[in-house]
Amino acid sequence: MLRLVLAVAAAAMVVLPPGHACAQAQNANLNRALDLEQAGKWKEAIVAWRAVIASGEGAQGLLGLERVFGQLAQDDSVLPPLDSLLERKPEDRVLRGVQLRVLRSLGRDSLARAAFDEWVRLVPRDPSPFREFAGQLLNDGRTALADTILQQATLALGSTKALTIEVAQLRSALGLWNAAAVEWVKALRSESYLEQAAAYSLFPATGVHRDSVRAVLRDATQAGAKKVLGTLELQWGAARDGWRALSTLTVADSAYESWKDFAEDAEHQGAWLAARDALAAMIKERPNATLAVRAASAAMSGGEPASALDFLSVARRVLQPFQVRLQVLPIEVRALASLGRAAEAERLVRESSEFLDLSTRQSYSRQIAWGWIRAGAVDKARAALGDASSDDAEEVTAWIALYDGDFKKARVGLRRPQDATADVVTVISLLGRTSADSARGVGAAFLALARGDSAQAAARFERAADEISDAAPLLLAIAARVQTARRQDAAAITLWQRIVQRYAAAPEAAEADLEWGRSLRKRGDLAGATERFEHLILSYPQSALVPQARRELDAVRSGASAT
Amino acid sequence: MRLSCIHLPRRPSLGAPIARGARAAALLLMLASATSSLAAQHLLVPMDDAQKNHLKAYGLAFTALKLGNRVEWFLNFRGGSFLMSDDPATRRKAALDGISIETMDEATLIQVRRDIAANNMDAISLEKAPRIAIYAPAKSPPWDDAVTMALKYAGIEYTQIWDDEVLKSDLSKFDWIHLHHEDFTGQMNKLYLGFRDAPWFLEQRDRDMATAQRNGFASIPALKKTVAARLRDFVEKGGFLFAMCGATDTIELAMAAQGVDIAGPFSDGTPMDPDADAKLDWLHTFAFQSVHLEMSAGVNSMSDIDGHQVNVPARRAPLGQFTIFNFSAKFDPVASMLVQNHRNVIPDFYGVTTSFTRSTLKPGVTILATEDGAPWVKYLHGDYGKGSWTYLGGHDPEDPQHNIGALPTDLGLHPNSPGYRLILNNVLFPAAKKKPLKT
Repeated sequence: MLRLVLAVAAAAMVVLPPGHACAQAQNANLNRALDLEQAGKWKEAIVAWRAVIASGEGAQGLLGLERVFGQLAQDDSVLPPLDSLLERKPEDRVLRGVQLRVLRSLGRDSLARAAFDEWVRLVPRDPSPFREFAGQLLNDGRTALADTILQQATLALGSTKALTIEVAQLRSALGLWNAAAVEWVKALRSESYLEQAAAYSLFPATGVHRDSVRAVLRDATQAGAKKVLGTLELQWGAARDGWRALSTLTVADSAYESWKDFAEDAEHQGAWLAARDALAAMIKERPNATLAVRAASAAMSGGEPASALDFLSVARRVLQPFQVRLQVLPIEVRALASLGRAAEAERLVRESSEFLDLSTRQSYSRQIAWGWIRAGAVDKARAALGDASSDDAEEVTAWIALYDGDFKKARVGLRRPQDATADVVTVISLLGRTSADSARGVGAAFLALARGDSAQAAARFERAADEISDAAPLLLAIAARVQTARRQDAAAITLWQRIVQRYAAAPEAAEADLEWGRSLRKRGDLAGATERFEHLILSYPQSALVPQARRELDAVRSGASAT
Repeated sequence: MRLSCIHLPRRPSLGAPIARGARAAALLLMLASATSSLAAQHLLVPMDDAQKNHLKAYGLAFTALKLGNRVEWFLNFRGGSFLMSDDPATRRKAALDGISIETMDEATLIQVRRDIAANNMDAISLEKAPRIAIYAPAKSPPWDDAVTMALKYAGIEYTQIWDDEVLKSDLSKFDWIHLHHEDFTGQMNKLYLGFRDAPWFLEQRDRDMATAQRNGFASIPALKKTVAARLRDFVEKGGFLFAMCGATDTIELAMAAQGVDIAGPFSDGTPMDPDADAKLDWLHTFAFQSVHLEMSAGVNSMSDIDGHQVNVPARRAPLGQFTIFNFSAKFDPVASMLVQNHRNVIPDFYGVTTSFTRSTLKPGVTILATEDGAPWVKYLHGDYGKGSWTYLGGHDPEDPQHNIGALPTDLGLHPNSPGYRLILNNVLFPAAKKKPLKT
């Protein structure tokens, strides 16, 4: 912090108008004082800063003394030179600011108050004393006193128009979020650079207060308010809403820059679809292939491969072939594979194959294999993997083996999975649970899931429970989870019930009780739900799900509606 | 003294078939051991930091009393622990609610009783589950009542009453009545100043006006003053009144102003009596005297009772923390019960009325908690007629700034709240077998 202050002071010195010898002497004094202060030679620095004061730079010198005496915990030593300077320049803002700061830091509140009153008396129509004192009090968290000062300003100045920022900060500090938003909107009308300050100040609002802030900013006409709302929504985790606020801006509102900042922030926070939308707006305004690739990447990360392909088609038209291979093709292959359009991906890779190195080709082969799996063509997936080296393709091979029902091969390939996604964890837990080396029914169930046929998958998992008895409760639980995701609560309840009643000692039994209870609660069967939650708590007291069951039980007792 | 935490016993398995004679002998042995074990077992509900859910522990004690079981409150012993007989229903409820319990055999209990006898502790026998009423409108306003939330969370039963019930029904059927945010001066907390167009405000005003007319009163202030007087009668006849937030000072003002107009023109159409301050009769109030009314209808404050004046920005005092006094459990059991806690210093919290200025307290009022060096106190208790009253300033112990429209506090996230414990101490206090105050 000290370094920053010194740097600022030095910068200020550099821009001093050069000229006569007096100015040069002042510069020399200032330089010396800054150097001594930076070197931590406090005693010498004090002498040097006194010399700066003597050379006519009272405010600069006093600020230096304030810093140095602060380091030595001798703040009260600033007061004698300050008093002398104030005798000469009683209305000087810097000197008065130092006076208030020092007296407050010494805990001499009544003297600070008297100094403030004296300053107000000297400059009765000037908002500076109110702004300075209220600002300092707000920094200290002394909101009540700051409020008093601002009320006094209203009486003295006729309004707090000149103190809008301080009033806005005060409202935020008091948790009066609606009023704070109103004040910030007022401040933004005249001082557009305050957007960041407004967003920072309003960010701590919680719960329903956010709705109130949103309403105020949404209703405001100026672009600054929309920008603040956009920033706030992003920070509050509602990036899409943030984008909705910003999307109404026009180029005349310097929207492009705001969109650019928003897109970067959204990408940084992983709010991919909001970033995609912001980038799309920028592309519409100023078409740009690099932005199109970024938008495609954001769309892919947001789980919308079809949208990614739209952006990539724009980029393809503009970029050179080598750029297409480097920037477009990797995302295009991923997107097509995600959509199960493996044939198209295969064609694109084939067209560029002479320019691709081996490892890139193998990487594409793995993705194309996934594409074939999603299309339900396991044989074509196996064929696609022919190009990939066995090590790199180990995981994909393992999945294909799993779909074939070959657990033995699947176990080998999934020893070191690249990502611990929920699917991977489920498969690994199944393979670790059963001693069986093969089960075609289970493979078919996972394949149905990969193809997105959840109804078929649930039915096959349920049937597979009879095939592999040592993993039966896990397979039933997988089937139940799929049914829950399909909103087939009745089917899920039957499965959870089966686990609880037939496999009470299984690791899935506590989860089954909890989910069974939740499904019952959703259907309004509170007595049934209570019975399940109580059963879980009493039967599996060591389960990590007990706190969740207690929360559910409390919610049932208090009559809260299930979501 | 170390007591082990217990878990629910698993059903004993008899395992492989046993010969008939051996089985009979084994059964006899099991029965004998079970009988002696049951006779010796007690459950201690610790209320110090070993307790995982302090708030629900009060519900456990309440339920045990409701079932006719014996409960003792060990004042100042491990944060104000409860002793209960060991029975399956209590164990089951403790397990379901996540309440820590510890088994205690007869020998250990004797040692504990010795400790209690030798130290500033006492064992208070709780006799019956108190019959509780909460004074609250049928339709909730856009703020919450900490007591209702605490009782619901702890699983303590209560009856909701409102003006019609207070005026017409027999309040002696309740041991305990709670008041929270109500403004007994009839000025609706002066929310007219900021919310006169809010739908909920209009609805409340219309509801109160309809109640007033139904009961033959010309205005809401007239209705509320009579309700306040009825509540005073309830205490005088032996009831226990617990009030928080704005109900504390406004019931006092309403009791003192039975024949004086202290309501602003926006509430009854007539200006305040300019001499109202001098005309107030503090003889028949519980806690305060020499109070000065806020004479301006445009200032959101009732009087100088509240030290914090949260709704008057220029007067608003910052929040600090308050310290609970430690009383002699053997000589002041009532005050001791009301302050049982596992923390002595608690962060303060705002309410329409946050605190009570010392200068307005009547002599003889017991101060239960105060902020060091501040001109106000936080928590008060006293007797009136055959009954007693307790006032706790502030609105919600776990939401210091609680604003209108804020979401209700989720007590599941504050199961060990020391502030909410103060509320629940009051709930169980009327269950205590009365002991004469020795000081």
